[in-house]
Amino acid sequence: MVKNFIYFLVFVLAIIAAAELIGIQAISIGSMTISMLPLVFAIAIAMILALPFLRKGILKKIYSKKNVDFASKYLIFIMLPLMARYGSDVAPQIREILQVGWVFIIQEIGNLGTVLIGLPIAILIGLRREAIGATLGIGREGELAYISEKYTLESPEGRGVISLYVIGTLFGTIFFSIFAPILLDFGFRVEALAMASGVGSGSMMSAASATLVARVPEMESTILAYASASQLLTSFIGTFTMVFLAAPLQQFMYKYLVRGDKK
Amino acid sequence: MSPTMRRYVRYALVLLLSVALILFAQEIKLIKNPDSTPITSMTFVGLGILWLFSFIGVIIADLMKLVPIKVIRDFPILGWVSITSLTMCLVSDFFVEAIQAVDFLAITTPILTVAGISVANRLVDLRKTSWKVAIVAVFVFAGTYVCSALLAQLGLFLAGN
Repeated sequence: MVKNFIYFLVFVLAIIAAAELIGIQAISIGSMTISMLPLVFAIAIAMILALPFLRKGILKKIYSKKNVDFASKYLIFIMLPLMARYGSDVAPQIREILQVGWVFIIQEIGNLGTVLIGLPIAILIGLRREAIGATLGIGREGELAYISEKYTLESPEGRGVISLYVIGTLFGTIFFSIFAPILLDFGFRVEALAMASGVGSGSMMSAASATLVARVPEMESTILAYASASQLLTSFIGTFTMVFLAAPLQQFMYKYLVRGDKK
Repeated sequence: MSPTMRRYVRYALVLLLSVALILFAQEIKLIKNPDSTPITSMTFVGLGILWLFSFIGVIIADLMKLVPIKVIRDFPILGWVSITSLTMCLVSDFFVEAIQAVDFLAITTPILTVAGISVANRLVDLRKTSWKVAIVAVFVFAGTYVCSALLAQLGLFLAGN
């Protein structure tokens, strides 16, 4: 058992080393540049090697139940130093942030985009009550708790939110690290994109802001400060936005969108 | 050792593992790119401070569980750590300087490695999720990001900044 944990540690070091040695890779598609950071390679390698058909011999020992449980139980603690780092990014810029404080609050309302854009698409491709769970938010713990309390997780709504949770957990960081710089190419200001990065998931925010930093390194301190300040705000008022704005808007739009369904 | 004590020791060790992995990532990063953030004595101080603030945040989160206000009880540990660190960094620039000696991207790589391993057994759950939700997920993630960015862009424009 202790031996398996040592395998686990060596494996983690090996993936970090591999990811860092691959480094930052820029892929150009037309006029767009997608930069892949070591963090993307790290999660990709760790997930690919975990595919069930590869899990033999040493990999089976590395991905033992104990080790995987350890990783998921303590992931949040592994993340804490990153959150502490954000304090040092926000502090020197606190004045500027407070000056445009209202912009931070306004852009929180943008989190309704999950409903505004996600819900019509979901209805269009034939989802019904699952769509409630799948579009209320980005499917993190907050939405999971809300949906399970209101509908239970066995309901269609529950299935929707769990599916989104799984997809977000697996691909959320990769998605945001690719998507954020694409918007940069569409002409968005990097400050606005940094602010928008506080979507409510620590790892997704880090992925989005980290690729922005890779693209505009001279703005590193501003990007990290804005992203983490917005993330902090989301963790404070995100629940309120969900309960008092997203959920009622969703109910209203849902009734309107499925009204043609009856009989 | 009491169970609470033992729990804290475990947290302390996991946090130690976390900062050790960051140091390792920064070291490898330097091999790949000698121009990246150098490892100096300040880096070690910075890592120690990150460890300390994280640990303080954990304790605060635990204490706040006793507060009768739901929002405060439910506030994530991640948030408490940010607030602890922000407060301390506002108090003294020394903390800022030390923490900034730790490479930002080197902090993210170990986290995503552990995140990748932690989802290993959920890969099979993917089969249970419908492809429809996968399509919706793209629009949900893109939707929240684009809408927030649009509002932020507009806001910054109106703020004349």
